[in-house]
Amino acid sequence: MKINDFKDLNLPKKYDEEYRKVDFAPLFSYDFENVKTYEFDIMGLQIITDEKNYDNVLFDITRSIDKNQVVLTIDSNIPEPICLIHKLKDDETFYVNSLRVEVKEGAKASLIEVFTNDCVNSAYSVNRDFHIESNSEFEYAKIQHVNENGTFIYNANFEQEESSVCKFTSFELGDGFIVNSYINKIENKNIEYYLNGLVKSQNSANTNNLIKTIHNNESSKSDINFKHSLKDYSRAVFKAKSIVNKEAAFSKAFQNSNTILLSNDAEIFAQPHLEILIDELEASHGATTGTLDKEQLLYLQARGIPKDKAYDMLLKAFESQIYDNIDDKLIKEFISTYTRSKYV
Amino acid sequence: MLKIENLKVNINEKEILKGLNLEIKPGEVHALMGVNGAGKSTLVKTLSAHYDCEVTDGSIVYKNKDLLELDVADRANEGIFMSFQNPVEVPGVNNSYFLKTAVNEKRAYNGEDEIDAMNFLKLIKEQTAKYDIDKKLLQRDLNEGFSGGEKKRNELIQLILLNPDLIMLDEIDSGLDVDAIKTVANVINQMLDGKKSVLMITHYDRLLELVKPDFVHILNDGKIVKTGDYSLALELDEKGFEGIGIKDENK
Repeated sequence: MKINDFKDLNLPKKYDEEYRKVDFAPLFSYDFENVKTYEFDIMGLQIITDEKNYDNVLFDITRSIDKNQVVLTIDSNIPEPICLIHKLKDDETFYVNSLRVEVKEGAKASLIEVFTNDCVNSAYSVNRDFHIESNSEFEYAKIQHVNENGTFIYNANFEQEESSVCKFTSFELGDGFIVNSYINKIENKNIEYYLNGLVKSQNSANTNNLIKTIHNNESSKSDINFKHSLKDYSRAVFKAKSIVNKEAAFSKAFQNSNTILLSNDAEIFAQPHLEILIDELEASHGATTGTLDKEQLLYLQARGIPKDKAYDMLLKAFESQIYDNIDDKLIKEFISTYTRSKYV
Repeated sequence: MLKIENLKVNINEKEILKGLNLEIKPGEVHALMGVNGAGKSTLVKTLSAHYDCEVTDGSIVYKNKDLLELDVADRANEGIFMSFQNPVEVPGVNNSYFLKTAVNEKRAYNGEDEIDAMNFLKLIKEQTAKYDIDKKLLQRDLNEGFSGGEKKRNELIQLILLNPDLIMLDEIDSGLDVDAIKTVANVINQMLDGKKSVLMITHYDRLLELVKPDFVHILNDGKIVKTGDYSLALELDEKGFEGIGIKDENK
């Protein structure tokens, strides 16, 4: 099975502005031996047919293989995060999975998903459709730890009702070819949307974050904050586009990307982008790229801390700024004790 | 303890120290004074192996070891402490964790067992109480958002806990109020045990009034051009550099 052979798919082209710098060609032309839907190990969940129009063609890859979508409904407060672990085992397989998460009015919920693989030349295309109803709070953490032979396409669509809060944090730790796509059309008032990401890459990891946020109603906030620490030959793309339309007075729209390049061969392409059609708002965007601060390194060494240890302390400090943004203590605990070996 | 001979140092390919000689014996307090740009900070930065400083000639022997062969951390663990003029902020690194790591690195260097968290807290409590220093700074990230005075106090906490043999203070009194200068002097005076040595850079007599130096050196154009006792500092305070025959080579 080759994705290029799906005739009805309008796949991203090399020169599409939205996907520039992301090379899908090796994935789309690869001939997978098997195609599978990754099934959740949870009984009794509703299954629907996903007929929705998404503002992202990548959603159609999963749907071309399986239109079924599992629905996870959270009606009331849950004290502990729901944890979904995805372990891919079969070589040469294209896996798909689709989940709709519904957080009902006034509920407070958290969800952790871990994506790992222990196979060769397999890919995983995942669709997530988040519905967060009014006055509800939803916190989500994703750990992606796919090996160097793996491909992972993660498409997230967010719909938030009035006065809801969505806090999403991703930890991109794997060595494979990764594309994350996040879309939030903010159609209601007083919404808070936080999208945080730590891209911690090594070897020849290729991690791409494509983010689109559209403010179509007033007094809402989007805050996008990514940190990249890139070693060896790793490469990352951060493309964030936030549009604040005329109807979205008093919005707050922030984008930030900070990168530390830890080798001469590591690469970042960071493009924060704001399109603002009103005057009454708060907005900022920025991207920094550099190495570890040599003045900070010297200061630690000057107190007797060896260079390698000082280096690790500074790197951890940089990365921990994403971890510190997590509110849910149990999610924090999960992240701080996470090791890949537990989940493969 | 420290013997510097014919030290020549470049910063950005410009020669700053031009053949400096200085000897500091155990228990001695030396003050280094001089006009701006004379090379005072370059000397202490060179002793700490700052990356800006390129030693082109000369030798530095510290405790019978070639100091120039030691890296930054090894120099610190050998007992050299430089208080930074403007300590850098390090967000994300907790001050207490940093200090415990530094203390344990020194202990490991000296073949001693690591200090655990409980004993470290006990040590902090004892030492900060002894010198009447507020330990709240330790709960924050290293120097992050600290005022100028807080940064200097934090340097003092590090100085106390690392208990070095050669204390180098680069304008630690600048920007401090009278009470804070007294705290600095109190710490230095209490630490002096006849074995520890001090090299302090200052522009003002106030600190020298409280920590009486055995030697006062005037540095000009990369060399020590005059040495005396505390009375030289008093004379300098009264007459200025030109009044004691020092011509500012930068003018």
